[in-house]
Amino acid sequence: MRNRLLWLSLLVVVISFGLVEFIGDLAITEHRVTQVAVLGAFLRLSAVVIVTMFVVSSTVRELQDKTLEMILAMPIHRSSYYLGKLTGFIQVSAIIATIFSAMLLLYASADQVMLWGISLFFELILVVALGLVMLFTFNQIPAALTGVFVIYAASRSATSIYLMAKYPIISHTTISQKFMDGFVELLTWLLPDLHRFTQTEWLAHGTGSFSLLMPVIGQALIYLTLLSAVALFDFYRKNF
Amino acid sequence: MIRHYIEKDRPLRDVPIAVIVMLVVALAIQLFWHSQQEPIVAKAEDLPRPMSPRAYVMSSFGEPVAAAKILNLWLQAFDNQPGISIPLHSLDYDVVTDWLDTILELDPRGHYPMLVAARVYGSVSVDEKQREMMDYIFYKFNEDPNKHWRWLAHAVITAKHELKDMQLALKYAHALAEKATGENVPYWARDMKIIVLEDMGEVAAAKILVGGLIASGEITDPYELNFLENKIHTLEEKMTKIRQDVDK
Repeated sequence: MRNRLLWLSLLVVVISFGLVEFIGDLAITEHRVTQVAVLGAFLRLSAVVIVTMFVVSSTVRELQDKTLEMILAMPIHRSSYYLGKLTGFIQVSAIIATIFSAMLLLYASADQVMLWGISLFFELILVVALGLVMLFTFNQIPAALTGVFVIYAASRSATSIYLMAKYPIISHTTISQKFMDGFVELLTWLLPDLHRFTQTEWLAHGTGSFSLLMPVIGQALIYLTLLSAVALFDFYRKNF
Repeated sequence: MIRHYIEKDRPLRDVPIAVIVMLVVALAIQLFWHSQQEPIVAKAEDLPRPMSPRAYVMSSFGEPVAAAKILNLWLQAFDNQPGISIPLHSLDYDVVTDWLDTILELDPRGHYPMLVAARVYGSVSVDEKQREMMDYIFYKFNEDPNKHWRWLAHAVITAKHELKDMQLALKYAHALAEKATGENVPYWARDMKIIVLEDMGEVAAAKILVGGLIASGEITDPYELNFLENKIHTLEEKMTKIRQDVDK
């Protein structure tokens, strides 16, 4: 509450409500589908931005006002500190996913909103872990935010980039192009499959199902473990 | 400097073994997970219908011309979707013309939509689709002949040489002669009807048309007059040849 995170989330809900009602007036046909598609995409992106800003700014404050040094001077493991932060931010993610999903109930069926909300929650967990990794690495807000958004955007678009590289319109055989193709393929192996997460199509066309949610949860848990390991590796080596 | 960056962190031995094991295992699981996913396959998407021009104006923060230019590029590249190339003729031309209309409404001074109609979508190898696009150009020409004359001139050429439909070429050339009367329209465009008639073997009709044009006094450009007089001469030669062939 001190960060006014809840108020910010509610403000986004109010703005998105106004935006979506306005868009509803513009749509000639598929009125409800247009509204829910725009709302879903807007809320997903807003949730990612809000959570990233919150994780990075609040953790950086602990670094700057020496709270972290004070905590680390106590007889607790660095991993305990990390897991404590992670758990707290996961709870914040759950609250934001719940608020935004509740907003969607006005426009889409409850079962699809539930799937969307659960998927958003797991997507936000990855964003939280990524935010912590970037912050432990860079120690600065601009660099950490840029790192999170670049990796997030790459994870969302890696599939399209991979397809464009694998099936080029004009075939190429140069070494540089082959190197880039290999690099892009490597990215798809190392980045999470975020294109499967929180799909607007579920809300717009009711195509979501629990079977689609299983790979999302599986990928989120695996990648959360990987990011946590990276964060802990970096955190244990940091001098404060 | 480099030494500072290497030594500013604590040594690797300070990282617990459990964390290193977790890192390696998690990376291995991520790679295994990715290998177990369905292969990524390119899927073609249908061209959707455009929204209203107003919606694009709003979503571009009141920049209709910028929105038109971006939509031009998006539409032009639609046949190249990630990992797949759709033949232009497999697009729904009814939807394509809706997009072209929308873009023209956003930027009425732009020629881009008419250019792609004539030279991109109108140059496919499927007659039916080509005719559809030529009809669209003819329709737009009738809305503003002095603005869109060059695209209808292109349609005349397409009808004559690609569709091999001389009647259609004549129809377009006739419209050019009748409606594109602005000063900006060059004489070669207005006089295309003569050439089409000549190619159709209607030499006498072409000669009457040329003679009528000269006699009307509307043509004052010396180059155009010269062109028409030469054309009369050529047509007379052709007519003489035809008569001689008939007499034989």
